Amino acid sequence: MAKRTPAFKAQKVKMSAGDYVFAIIDYLVFGIFTAACIFPFYYLIINTISNNKLVAAGKINFWPVGFHLDNYANIFKLNDLGNAFVVTLSRTIIGTALMVFGSALCGYLFTRNEMWHKKFWYRFVIVTMYLNAGIIPWYLNMSMLGLTNNYLAYILPGIMVPYNLILVKTYIESIPPSLEESAQLDGAGYWQRFSKIILPLSKPILATIAIFGAVNNWNSFQDSLILMQGAPKLYTLQHRLYIYLNQSSNLSSLMSGSGSVSSSAVENLSNMKIIKYTVATVSVIPILAFYPFMQRYFEGGIMLGAVKG
Amino acid sequence: MKNGTAVSGKMAPAAAKDRTDPIYRFIRIVAVVSIFFLFFPGLNPARICGLINKNISLFTTGVSYSALTNGFGKAFRKAWVTEATMRGLQFSSLAIIIGIIAQCAASVFTTGSNRMKRISTLVVIGGTALSIIGCVGIYLAYLTMTTTIKPQKVLPEIPGTFFAMLVITALMLIAAVLAMVLGKRSKKGDPVTMPSKFQLFAMCLPFIILCFLFGYLPLYGWRYAFFDYKAGGTLSLDNFVGTKWFTYLFTNDSTRSDIIRVMKNTLGISGLGIATSWCSMAFAIFLNEIKNKHYRRFVQTFTTIPNFISWVLIFAIATAIFSSDGFISSLMVNAGIWKKGVNMLANGHHVWLQMLAWSLWKGLGWGAIVYIAAISGIDQSLYEAANVDGAGRFAKMWYITVPELIPTYMVMLLMAVANILNNGMDQYLVFENSANSANIMVLDLYVYKLGIGSGLIPLSTAIGMLKSVVSVILLFVANGISKVTRGSSII
Repeated sequence: MAKRTPAFKAQKVKMSAGDYVFAIIDYLVFGIFTAACIFPFYYLIINTISNNKLVAAGKINFWPVGFHLDNYANIFKLNDLGNAFVVTLSRTIIGTALMVFGSALCGYLFTRNEMWHKKFWYRFVIVTMYLNAGIIPWYLNMSMLGLTNNYLAYILPGIMVPYNLILVKTYIESIPPSLEESAQLDGAGYWQRFSKIILPLSKPILATIAIFGAVNNWNSFQDSLILMQGAPKLYTLQHRLYIYLNQSSNLSSLMSGSGSVSSSAVENLSNMKIIKYTVATVSVIPILAFYPFMQRYFEGGIMLGAVKG
Repeated sequence: MKNGTAVSGKMAPAAAKDRTDPIYRFIRIVAVVSIFFLFFPGLNPARICGLINKNISLFTTGVSYSALTNGFGKAFRKAWVTEATMRGLQFSSLAIIIGIIAQCAASVFTTGSNRMKRISTLVVIGGTALSIIGCVGIYLAYLTMTTTIKPQKVLPEIPGTFFAMLVITALMLIAAVLAMVLGKRSKKGDPVTMPSKFQLFAMCLPFIILCFLFGYLPLYGWRYAFFDYKAGGTLSLDNFVGTKWFTYLFTNDSTRSDIIRVMKNTLGISGLGIATSWCSMAFAIFLNEIKNKHYRRFVQTFTTIPNFISWVLIFAIATAIFSSDGFISSLMVNAGIWKKGVNMLANGHHVWLQMLAWSLWKGLGWGAIVYIAAISGIDQSLYEAANVDGAGRFAKMWYITVPELIPTYMVMLLMAVANILNNGMDQYLVFENSANSANIMVLDLYVYKLGIGSGLIPLSTAIGMLKSVVSVILLFVANGISKVTRGSSII
């Protein structure tokens, strides 16, 4: 047994020709797929920072030429794009914060066995995960509640997410009860125990659900599309992008919309293509920028999801 | 329903022998009943003229002026009704809404100590006062409306539910005053506490209410499937059609052929997704064969990014690469191979495969994470033993790694089968165009187009309803299979 070496060393010793071929193909296939995942983003970005005339002529394909950032300065002068950015950013922050708070508080409350009819209410909440009335009844319900053309429609429905509640509850159950009991002996009420002990201890899981919540909020499109038909000022960034993407290549429709667009700004964005690319880049950059911070949390999160129950 | 059951006999709070207990029980039941007045259009006490839409609830009346005055364009222009009257009506409704919410919230707190009971009873009295003020406001609005020059058009009429609302509020007020008079007095220093079971429940209640509003209340919209309803119309016994829309699905030729086509697309695209669901597992297995840790990490990081991108953005990327002025076209044109750019997105060939490719691009790296984690959990001694036996690379993959991953794969597969009808609509909505429309129309998108686009609310509700029911059944079947074969449930 003393002679046994770790598996990888043993392989290194006897790398055959077949192993080399396998390794090369393996590295290559993953390299190509990864490139296919990265390149589109790179392509978008180089086209927004390069000389606009070259971009319009389709000359920018692999590296930027004639670096400038004017497109980013000009893009926010377009109809309502600044608005859409504010709406999306604010709903991401407010919606995520409330969702995390709600999941944490309910997750804690549902671990307390002394709650009145706890089991019933927990099921009452969880069952909604599988109840899906369909998109039309959902729309009719939202309009019955006065949530069409209303900013609150972005916030209120997202506060209670049963799946996140399950994750948090499972996590809190794993916290040693003695910590809470000692606080209880010191006379702390439920609220104090929650805010002083449970909340700080469940930071990892809260970070995970916060990231998923923030990404969902940032990417939200359907609610804006269906509920905000009469309130273009409340369109989200994704909805705006969708509109731009479906616009034909002429700029007249953009310019006639409102007088606030200075024509020179639009001229600088000489081409609908550049507008599309710049708006797309603006809406993807926050995700790319936060991605490195997100990564370590979501990988933990998906595993927690596997042990829910 | 929440507060009323709060005192079902044995669950009564600490001061169980108090003679005011039945009164408080009554208050809680009335509070629950009054919630129905808020959300059910049929009970709207503020519908004081024929011009107000029959399908708006008291809640909508109070919070949305535009919904309230939807049918008033002509009435305002011809000065049959003044804006001031309608504003007055809205604010009166809002007063009632706030009043009812205050009553309900306070009735939860009547489960507390004597001091807390008395404080919350005062709040209940305040709430009823607000409701009564609102009722008076509605009545005044009605009186103003009766002075209209065109009563035959405006049809001012005080609804029966208005009096029901008054009666209920009066009952609440009487009960609350009685409880104040009959109950034990309390001093300032008395404890303001609740039994912990109710305290916990009260903290949870706002979230339970949200769940009710956005999780359960939409189901009430299923009633539209049984009426002959047009947008802006009303639901009444006159246009109740029973199961007409459900049979219509199968008897109307054009709808039936639509449904068959849509189902074909739905099952086809989902089926392709299921047929390729092993790809994530293969991705993880082969990624694990890469010995360079940094390269592995690099691949894993960048292949997961697309999962966090919305479908609209993916469509933006598709445009950037495949449209007539996109990457491929400009390469081809610059190289002189093509004369002009080709929009590759606007073609109707192999639409399912195109959609599959985008789904894979988005989801492959992400789907692999769970398998990568599972692989790292495999007992290394299995591989060592295989090495000793002289097993090759592929033998180890096939006889050790794959069997170890199969339980995880089964869960994913069962979930995919349960979701076979739920393709989601974003992907297909953004990629749809006139060339591929026939082959991309999945059930979710079809329901959306039918309901929101064409305004065929009853028919689309009926389809959505069938879909939801079938999905739930599939989920339970998948869960049952999982229980039998794996011994654990997946939901």
